[in-house]
Amino acid sequence: MPTIKAAGGGEADLSLDQAETHMLRQLTAEMRALLATDIDTADDPVLRRLYPDAYEKPEDEADYRGLIGDDLEKEKLAALDTVSTALGTQNTEVRLSGEAIDAWLGCLTDLRLAIGTRLDVDEERMGAQINQDDPDAAALSVLHWLGWLQEEILRTVQT
Amino acid sequence: MSNPTIAPERVDVPDSDEQEQRDRPWLVIVHNDPVNLMSYVTWVLQKLFGYPKAKAHKLMLQVHNEGKAIVSSGPREKAEADCFRLHAYGLWATITKSD
Repeated sequence: MPTIKAAGGGEADLSLDQAETHMLRQLTAEMRALLATDIDTADDPVLRRLYPDAYEKPEDEADYRGLIGDDLEKEKLAALDTVSTALGTQNTEVRLSGEAIDAWLGCLTDLRLAIGTRLDVDEERMGAQINQDDPDAAALSVLHWLGWLQEEILRTVQT
Repeated sequence: MSNPTIAPERVDVPDSDEQEQRDRPWLVIVHNDPVNLMSYVTWVLQKLFGYPKAKAHKLMLQVHNEGKAIVSSGPREKAEADCFRLHAYGLWATITKSD
């Protein structure tokens, strides 16, 4: 299990074992590949969730998209970079600055949104115990593990 | 005595409805989603808007229980900047004109 401890000054020490590091490496690489695709956002439910419409009216939405350009993608890529740079080759022992903590929380959120949207989860399924016969059991475990890590980071930041 | 005749300047007085339309603020709404953690949503609202924890927690509960909550309002530019930050942190946010 990962450990995370407050290191003072809004920083935190994170420790991940080899399997956890490997999994996060894989997930961040998949997210990078997804963000790099030039498929239309509207055609993919995960991209639609990562880049939600701000406006209901199509003309307002088009103006807004024109205004923000690829800034949102850049933000998400920057957070991904922060996380993947911190990941070690075997185990990961890293001190996270306040800024890095924000990036980790944002990136973990994107990973969770991607998995949750792919699985089309609802609140009931999110709150239920994982049934090991469920073909999505492995993905659900990853989703919960990421949530657990996020919760631990939040707990550390807020104490 | 005579007053010099001054041609009245033509002023476009905005139609009061139009004025009202322009003055109504834009609202930023956060919608409920099944994935984001309640503690995370509270943290984001505190971080982005500087809300005290109690206010952020209350808004988060409103999102959770009622499906959505207005988290900020103001001129269009501000609403768009707020919405952008919320999207950057993975919250499902939209902008609408207040009624």
